[in-house]
Amino acid sequence: MDRNQQRPRSSILDSLGEELIGILTPVSICMFTVVLLVCLLNSDPSSSSFSSIATAAYSETDSDSPWDKLLGAFLNSLVFVAAITVATFLLVLLFYLRCVTFLKLYMGFSALVVLANLGGEISILLIDRFRFPIDSLTFSILLFNFSVVGVFAVFMSRFSILITQGYLVVIGVLVAYFFTMLPEWTTWVLLVALALYDLAAVLLPVGPLRLLVEMAISRDEDIPALVYEARPVIRDDSRLVQRRVWREQRSNVNDDDVENNVVRAEEEEEQRSEEISVPLIDSSSSSSRPETFLEGIGLGASGAIKLGLGDFIFYSVLVGRAAMYDLMTVYACYLAIIAGLGVTLMLLSVYQKALPALPVSIMLGVVFYFLARLFLEVFVVQCSSNLVMF
Amino acid sequence: MEEASRIDEPNRNPNTDRSSNPNPLSSIISSAHVWPTIDGPLGLTEEASVDYARRFYKFGFALLPWLWAVNCFYFWPVLRHSRAFPQIRNYVVRSAIGFSVFTSLLLAWALTFSIGGEQLFGPVWDKLVMYNVADRLGLSGLA
Repeated sequence: MDRNQQRPRSSILDSLGEELIGILTPVSICMFTVVLLVCLLNSDPSSSSFSSIATAAYSETDSDSPWDKLLGAFLNSLVFVAAITVATFLLVLLFYLRCVTFLKLYMGFSALVVLANLGGEISILLIDRFRFPIDSLTFSILLFNFSVVGVFAVFMSRFSILITQGYLVVIGVLVAYFFTMLPEWTTWVLLVALALYDLAAVLLPVGPLRLLVEMAISRDEDIPALVYEARPVIRDDSRLVQRRVWREQRSNVNDDDVENNVVRAEEEEEQRSEEISVPLIDSSSSSSRPETFLEGIGLGASGAIKLGLGDFIFYSVLVGRAAMYDLMTVYACYLAIIAGLGVTLMLLSVYQKALPALPVSIMLGVVFYFLARLFLEVFVVQCSSNLVMF
Repeated sequence: MEEASRIDEPNRNPNTDRSSNPNPLSSIISSAHVWPTIDGPLGLTEEASVDYARRFYKFGFALLPWLWAVNCFYFWPVLRHSRAFPQIRNYVVRSAIGFSVFTSLLLAWALTFSIGGEQLFGPVWDKLVMYNVADRLGLSGLA
């Protein structure tokens, strides 16, 4: 269009930074908060009172040999991944049968359980730790308020973007903190197993998450699950970036004006991708309560990047577990995860379909953790004790 | 000009009436339009906002001052531009008043409790304070 020729074409760089920051900020806040909680609440590393489905097969004790621990961790991860697969297929079935209301109610209920139950327990731990003189009446009113508004934020489709995002990050923090309480070997093997599961579930044609995404695309619906969506970027010419891919037939006519101003790399004629769901098993009591979280990364209707809450949780679990060793491993793992997330976002812009966000980051994170723990620490300690560096 | 709608309701484009006018004048007009919600063009339309504001105000009476506060936060432009949205403003102002009243009462009680301590309350303080209640009910352990 002629009127657009005078204005300089906006390029991908104008909005790319803003969009990346829109995803990296909540992930970093989640990780930082979990590290903070881990450092503050310094749970006893040998406490084995934490039971969940992830320790159903084997509970780690200090007296076992490394081989026993490894074997036990494998069994635990197998059980957990099997449980998650079953739950995801159940979700696919329910979505296929169009029980969307039930799924939304379940989502609200799981948010309530996480916020009230896990949130309450963590606040009590914090109050205990700092001996904060709050009374039970005030505490229960505050907790009640916090959880009910959280359920509103998650359940209602149109709500303040900032508050919804804040509550999703809080839910991620709470669940991640609880997952860091798993025994050490189990945590690491579980993370690797989940990364492999995510890869299989999203990319294989028979994978449950891929089935879910394809069903959602074919029906032009959203999957009712907990997903973090970054705020859609408004370009400087006061139009929102058009990346509505599903309705290409209908929107082609109206998009003609916008096409010239939109970045070439992000065409509207791409397949809209959806995010994927991996139900997690609530671990705060021995009875398992599956909750619907999402893992995976995709693009939303308004072009905003969507990242599943499961990704938030497992990134934070990795960093939290690294924090239990030393802060040096935290820095290494944080950089690895952010690099992995950047790689995943690049792949997302290249492939334009729903991608698993766990594998790259978790693999890099685990590799960097062990490298830092085995090699970097020795180096840094030697240097600083000889007053060479740091 | 088309505005993208929120992800969860792809079929309800809040301003489809604007989509037929692509010239620069409409973009100037739309940028000067005052949106009732803090999200601006990504938020609710005026009609839906009245409904939301009313519902939040009513629900807040169930001992939910935080909901009132969220109501005020969400409809902040309504409070700022005092003449713009009379119906919404009614509910938002009442939510703000309710929030301040409730918070001042709660704060007064909480401060009295924490600062007064044992001297003011005697042995009851130990029974009411949260960390003891948690210990008694076994809430502070995990699992």
